[in-house]
Amino acid sequence: MNKRGIYIHIPFCVQKCNYCAFLSFNAESSPRKEYTDALVQEIRCRGEALGHPEVDTVYVGGGTPSVLDLSQMRDIMTAVSESFSVKPDAEMTIEANPGTLGRKDGVTLAKLQAYKYLGFNRLSMGVQSMENDRLHFLGRIHTAENVARDMELIRRKGFENVNLDLIFSVPGESTKDALSDLKKVLDLKPEHVSCYSLQIEEGTPFGRMAEEGELTEVPDEEDRRTYHEICRALKEAGYEHYEISNFARLPEGSAGCGFGDAGAKAASPLRSQHNSLYWDMDDYIGLGLGASGFAGGVRYKNTDDIEEYFAAINEGRFPLAEEHVNTPFDNISEAVFTGLRRREGISYEEAAAAYRAAGGEDAEGSAEQLFWQVFGDAEAEAREYAGRGLLIIDSEGLRLTEQGIDISNSIMSLFV
Amino acid sequence: MSYLDNIRNFSIIAHIDHGKSTLADRLIEKTGLVEARDMKEQYLDNMDIERERGITIKLQTTRLKYKAKDGQEYILNLIDTPGHVDFNYEVSRSLAACDGAVLVVDATQGVEAQTLGNVYLALDEDLEILPVLNKMDLDSARPDDAREEIEDIIGLDASEAPEISAKTGMGIDEMLEKLVEVIPAPKGDPDGRLKALIFDSYYDSYKGVIIYTRIFDGRVKKGDMIRMMNTGKNYEVTEVGYCIPGTVPADELKAGEVGYICGSIKQVADARVGDTITLASAPTEAPLKGYKKAQSMVYCGIFPAEGEKYENVKDALEKLQVNDAAFNFEPENSAALGYGYRCGFLGLLHMDVITERLAREFDLDVITTLPSVVYKVVMKDGRVLDIQNPSNLPDPIEIAHIEEPIVKADIMTPNDYVGSIMTLCQNRRGKMIHMEYLTKTRVQLHYEMPLNEVIYDFFDALKSRTRGYASLDYEFLRYQPAKLVKLDILLNREVIDALSTIVPEEEANAKGRGICEKLKEIIPRHQFEVPIQAAIGQKIIARETVRAYRKDVLAKCYGGDITRKKKLLEKQKAGKKRMRQFGQVTVPQEAFTEVLKLDDGK
Repeated sequence: MNKRGIYIHIPFCVQKCNYCAFLSFNAESSPRKEYTDALVQEIRCRGEALGHPEVDTVYVGGGTPSVLDLSQMRDIMTAVSESFSVKPDAEMTIEANPGTLGRKDGVTLAKLQAYKYLGFNRLSMGVQSMENDRLHFLGRIHTAENVARDMELIRRKGFENVNLDLIFSVPGESTKDALSDLKKVLDLKPEHVSCYSLQIEEGTPFGRMAEEGELTEVPDEEDRRTYHEICRALKEAGYEHYEISNFARLPEGSAGCGFGDAGAKAASPLRSQHNSLYWDMDDYIGLGLGASGFAGGVRYKNTDDIEEYFAAINEGRFPLAEEHVNTPFDNISEAVFTGLRRREGISYEEAAAAYRAAGGEDAEGSAEQLFWQVFGDAEAEAREYAGRGLLIIDSEGLRLTEQGIDISNSIMSLFV
Repeated sequence: MSYLDNIRNFSIIAHIDHGKSTLADRLIEKTGLVEARDMKEQYLDNMDIERERGITIKLQTTRLKYKAKDGQEYILNLIDTPGHVDFNYEVSRSLAACDGAVLVVDATQGVEAQTLGNVYLALDEDLEILPVLNKMDLDSARPDDAREEIEDIIGLDASEAPEISAKTGMGIDEMLEKLVEVIPAPKGDPDGRLKALIFDSYYDSYKGVIIYTRIFDGRVKKGDMIRMMNTGKNYEVTEVGYCIPGTVPADELKAGEVGYICGSIKQVADARVGDTITLASAPTEAPLKGYKKAQSMVYCGIFPAEGEKYENVKDALEKLQVNDAAFNFEPENSAALGYGYRCGFLGLLHMDVITERLAREFDLDVITTLPSVVYKVVMKDGRVLDIQNPSNLPDPIEIAHIEEPIVKADIMTPNDYVGSIMTLCQNRRGKMIHMEYLTKTRVQLHYEMPLNEVIYDFFDALKSRTRGYASLDYEFLRYQPAKLVKLDILLNREVIDALSTIVPEEEANAKGRGICEKLKEIIPRHQFEVPIQAAIGQKIIARETVRAYRKDVLAKCYGGDITRKKKLLEKQKAGKKRMRQFGQVTVPQEAFTEVLKLDDGK
């Protein structure tokens, strides 16, 4: 039986970051209460429609979920627990940006206390950098000191599973700067670290600055050097590099490991269970504005238009923008390119299972034969990548090496 | 009274999208030949490409019956004409088969350059012209202005021009009455010696070539031995008949009539448009005048794309040639693109039509190289070579001089755009001959321009500078000496022959720079640096570098949006399919045709 998770989107932020192309609105001037009410209704309808299924993970992301009032968050989580059967050991994550945990008038533990009470056992913080100048340039509202303080509060409240996000290759940032950021983050001893290379997207302030020549992107060569240095530093610090951008701490005494490393090593128990659903072709129920979901072999996406979202909920409809029933090929293709994001890559067995799950005809022979039957066109090029040390193809399946990550899109695009 | 009095042979002259095909549809519908339910949009346009572009390239002829108010039944032979400058010769032969023409003018747009060109062709054939105003159902119709334009520009009396809407059927009856009245009946002697004009032909896999013909004198029936007077070939007639549309056999065709002849002819080149048919046993004295051999004005290379078979391309080209006397090809070998064909066309549209048909009808994936004109290369030893492939240009040391084809280009435009058109023509080495005001707001510019400057993207540039209002008509004028050099392009230090072009010496630097910059945009980043150079002989005149990439990875899937990620990967994959490998460098196939489209609207 596949695992199942819930993703809840909170599209509000105190201030939009200069690089962010994601869906979010200014928290002060937006209808947070109205949104909460609509979201609660969507959660209840969805739970009803699916027959109150068991869920293994709950993830509240954004935007910045921690900008919601506690009463609003309580209403949402009450709806979740009444509409779904959340397993007792479920991983429950909330994204909380530094600078939003305390009240404006001073430090308070109320929010953290409340999150714990509402069942959250994992916190994910958008640290992004530990240099105040760079944080300011990115358009973040917090300082490095806020991060350290929040982390202390988080620990004091007993959260034992914390992810910290880090962004590298910010214009003007050297490899050395990035490693210094990382070191400061590691000093906080997070269980999990996500490292993203800054992508300059159209329609963001950075996108406009780049167009006007006011921003010089970090050259690819330097970006990749930084990335591999980060991977090395995290492995040395005892983390498992388990997904292209994600690292999870291994139990005390275990040596770090990563892509392309020989020998089977156990996965870190601190991997993000929820994000793993995305890469394992498991079910996840997306709720809220612009949220994506994959349930019962159907991929869907909610509308990005908040007015349309409200209208749909009011009329008792699901606020869908698109819906697609996966074919066997969709399934195996997605299993491969999401699977390749993982350290363990994609096994022929998993790929074949995804193929069959969508009603794909069972071919004669092994899963490996089925795989190369489906991707016959890709085999020659895939083996060429393998010959160049970018991809490993063995009797189990396919996985990227750390060098292969740099051109992973080219490799993945063989399988779509 | 003769049977001839009840025949009317006519064409419809119209600018692209002024409604010619729609009108033809209405006429067919009105005269009851095709049931309304069988009507496809625009019945006469029977090729997909034509339908998509809304233009007719291949002629189709239809015999209609019309009962007029005078109680008489008339045979109306509608001889359709292609509507593009590339097919001027074909248009003129179709018109030669007629006794009159219906001039369709869009009452919302007025007269256009192409219409004018075809009107002149019709006047050259001494045709009676009936102007009609179309699109009268639209609010924007301004019939008085259109009438005034017809009178001012063409010099035809338009006071009684029927006002119609081909779309709604309004005014069609009045138009038919007027047609019977204005257009004269054919003349001819059915008992004289056979003299018949071929105005179209196409290949049918059962009957062989089907010739569309207008009989001027005499008669022809099954079993007759006919002779093509210009090619001198004899054939036995296997079938004659009328086009109603389609082919409906009849006992004979006689003077004044329009119909078809079959005679087990293998390819359309043997029944060339404009040729005169007579009887081998009793030939007429002289052929009809106006016959011309097809002459290719534009050439390009057609090569199988990655994964496409050479034989498939060859088969397809042969099949197209059977039906298109104006299209020719011969094998060519390119170091960059391998084995392919050098193909000759009447003009750019003709080239587009052929390459599109290769893709659509034959499902072929081909690379077309930059179009080129034919240069006359005068050697120091006195020989004159026709060169249409830049790679074949001899060593400059042996060349005395090079001559290039010049065309006469007539551009009709609202006067607001004269300035920007003049700049454009000047940039394209155009020489203004004169400019005339056709009306207060409409201007015709007469230029002499190198054909080479017209064939790349001149038409697009003209349209974009005038919001689509300007129209262009051109015809070959003469060869003229010019200072020309071969510009080579090197990728990763290797000359890519398919990217070589012949350019004016004074523009070589700018063109070389432009091409390098364009290629830099088109060629994707590789895992190593790719230098792009432009060279004349050994001299490098421009250089750009495609930087190496080392990053091709998506850091993050926002909130599990797998679909978005998948679309990106699919796009990447689709992009790669259109690539061509040169050594280690991958070049998108569109590079070969896009690279000279340097017009940036300045």
